[in-house]
Amino acid sequence: MELKKVQQDWNSFPELSMEERPVLSPDLEKMVVNNPLTGAFYLKPQILGRILIAGILWFLNIYQWRAEYKTNGNDLYQQGALFFVLTYFIYFHIRLLLFANYPSLLSLKLVPFLSKIETVLDKYILSFGVVSVLAGFYLLALFEKALSWLNSGAYTRISENGFYKWLIVIFLSISFYILFLQSVIPKYKKLLTAVKMYREEIGAKSQKK
Amino acid sequence: MNNPKKKGGASEIVRSHLKHQHKKVYSICRLFANTYKEHQRLFADIIAAASQSIQHKKAGEEKHTLLLRACLNMTALHAISRRVGPDTDRTIQFKSPDYQRSMLKFRDSVGEISDYEKILLFLEFEKVAPADIAELTGFIPARKQASVKEQPKKSFIPYLKEKLIWN
Repeated sequence: MELKKVQQDWNSFPELSMEERPVLSPDLEKMVVNNPLTGAFYLKPQILGRILIAGILWFLNIYQWRAEYKTNGNDLYQQGALFFVLTYFIYFHIRLLLFANYPSLLSLKLVPFLSKIETVLDKYILSFGVVSVLAGFYLLALFEKALSWLNSGAYTRISENGFYKWLIVIFLSISFYILFLQSVIPKYKKLLTAVKMYREEIGAKSQKK
Repeated sequence: MNNPKKKGGASEIVRSHLKHQHKKVYSICRLFANTYKEHQRLFADIIAAASQSIQHKKAGEEKHTLLLRACLNMTALHAISRRVGPDTDRTIQFKSPDYQRSMLKFRDSVGEISDYEKILLFLEFEKVAPADIAELTGFIPARKQASVKEQPKKSFIPYLKEKLIWN
């Protein structure tokens, strides 16, 4: 590549074309209000949604845990475990949101910008593990509710036996994680790999120079 | 109409800066966009990114630097999305014949180059001093990186550190 020739060709672009027309104020007004980050590059709505839902569930859980404690119910330990999982889930997502710092993300230098996108995607993929555990707990609650309507004898047997309940929670959590691994996670993993490859590629090239 | 205090909108200073500097954005689009549609989308995304960056700028950061960073960051995302996307047609198709001709000529003289080289070419055309490239891209020169590697690491529990500290 001859730089002089490239410069000549660069300068030969038409001064005015449909592609490079002067930008008008109304166009600019429309453009600046758009969010430049889209899809999996912008996880703020998903993270905020999760924090909101987990927050509601957290308050509900505190209420139920208190009720179990007062009545010395069978689900005392289960509610306690759920409290810690929910607390960690909320903490993890608030930390992720603060780390991503979307308003100033685009003002970072290219390599740190790509690294940050990579970390956010990686942590978001990890968060599906906690979502699976929560799904396990709540599906068990639904299962118990359904059983109490359909077969009260089976319900009593299950609700009194903590060991079975923990087994069901583990089974459901693993099943949910496998479901996520097959459905949602590949999309984010593909993007994460692409970001990582791109960063490493330009990083390696800059080292050769 | 153009209310500077409008929620989500840019201030008059930001809009005026972008209006005067938008040619830079067109320049990077020449290197990374292959079609009219791609060109328009990339241009709009970069303008939006630059506007957001400038609005949230910290003390000591220059508007010009933030605009160039927005150009590089958004083109990187554009390139990554293109790689991930199903269709990777790289035919050059623009609407105005003059632009199409210039683009074909330019791409022919440039040849097949990597995105890293495209970035350097863009910065060269924008007359960015080689010393300032690291300030925009974060590329660490090989000599500097070697000296970083030579320093003894202070990590006490590597696994936990990796899990707890995000960077």
